[in-house]
Amino acid sequence: MIICPDCNCENIEGSDECEQCGQSLTSLHLTDPATEIERSLLDDRVSVLNPKLPVAVSPQTPVGEVLQKLVAQSIGCVIVVEGGELVGIFSERDALQKLNVDVDELRERPVSEYMTEDAQTLVADSKVAFAVHRMDLGNYRHVPIVDDQGRPVGIVSVRDILRYLAEKMGATAS
Amino acid sequence: MFVAQENGSDSGNAVNFHLRLDAESVEHAFPSDPLAVDPKTSVREVLALLKDSQTGHVVVAESGEIQGIFTERDALKLMAEGADFQVPVADVMSPDPVTLRNQDTVGQAIQIMARGGYRRIPILDDTAKLQGVLKSSGILHYLVQHFPAVIYNLPPHPHHNTQEREGA
Repeated sequence: MIICPDCNCENIEGSDECEQCGQSLTSLHLTDPATEIERSLLDDRVSVLNPKLPVAVSPQTPVGEVLQKLVAQSIGCVIVVEGGELVGIFSERDALQKLNVDVDELRERPVSEYMTEDAQTLVADSKVAFAVHRMDLGNYRHVPIVDDQGRPVGIVSVRDILRYLAEKMGATAS
Repeated sequence: MFVAQENGSDSGNAVNFHLRLDAESVEHAFPSDPLAVDPKTSVREVLALLKDSQTGHVVVAESGEIQGIFTERDALKLMAEGADFQVPVADVMSPDPVTLRNQDTVGQAIQIMARGGYRRIPILDDTAKLQGVLKSSGILHYLVQHFPAVIYNLPPHPHHNTQEREGA
């Protein structure tokens, strides 16, 4: 029996792809994860990271207000939402790279002018390893989690991933 | 930089499937070259430098000795409160940052980052000279390089459930 790493469907030994979701299974014939951490990354879904509720602002929010929100709430990014839909994400990186020393002239401008549009998202049952790959490919530090209607329900940060890895290593050591 | 292990990740084959977090040194986790400034550099100059170099931190060092680190988090606080950008970076940096030695392991680095909430840690060589900066993104990249390709090709959600096994 081969368990599909993505949808957990049980497939017949030797199957090349999962009969439920089409995921390739060929590499799974070859090896077992060597350590607990490897197994965890492959088995766990991002919901185990307990994604925090995202802090949301409207596109018209003045960017200066957003900066203060980031500091006051000790967060690295806000999501920008309009009519319940995610339209962008604004992070401390956007603040530094786009406002920089000109911040004083730009405070009243709407956050929509400086946010990153088309943010990559994940659903809560994505594998942790998949989230790691997404973050690495796009060089993201935050990825919003959306429900099946595309509504933002959480946010996963690279810190959550580091904390998760540290916990897994601690569990292995003891 | 990155040295391929005997189970190197280049073939993209699932056989090469070993995370050796407790054995491999931080030098394998893609540290970046350090960007260092003098303590007297103004915040204004530092912000411009961070923008030009598309990076989120500088190490503040004097005659090769680390005094502090200034990150985009520090920048954010100053920008939010409308601070004076003419002050020297030494006044607003995070002093005496936690550092790593180049022989520390990736696993140790992850523990330190997770505990302290750091995303960037300077790496020192045997003579306490600044050698590089380990970033959380380097750790993610290390994980990706040491993982089988299969996990990265997971189909997008929602699943395109084809058919029920029964009656197929």
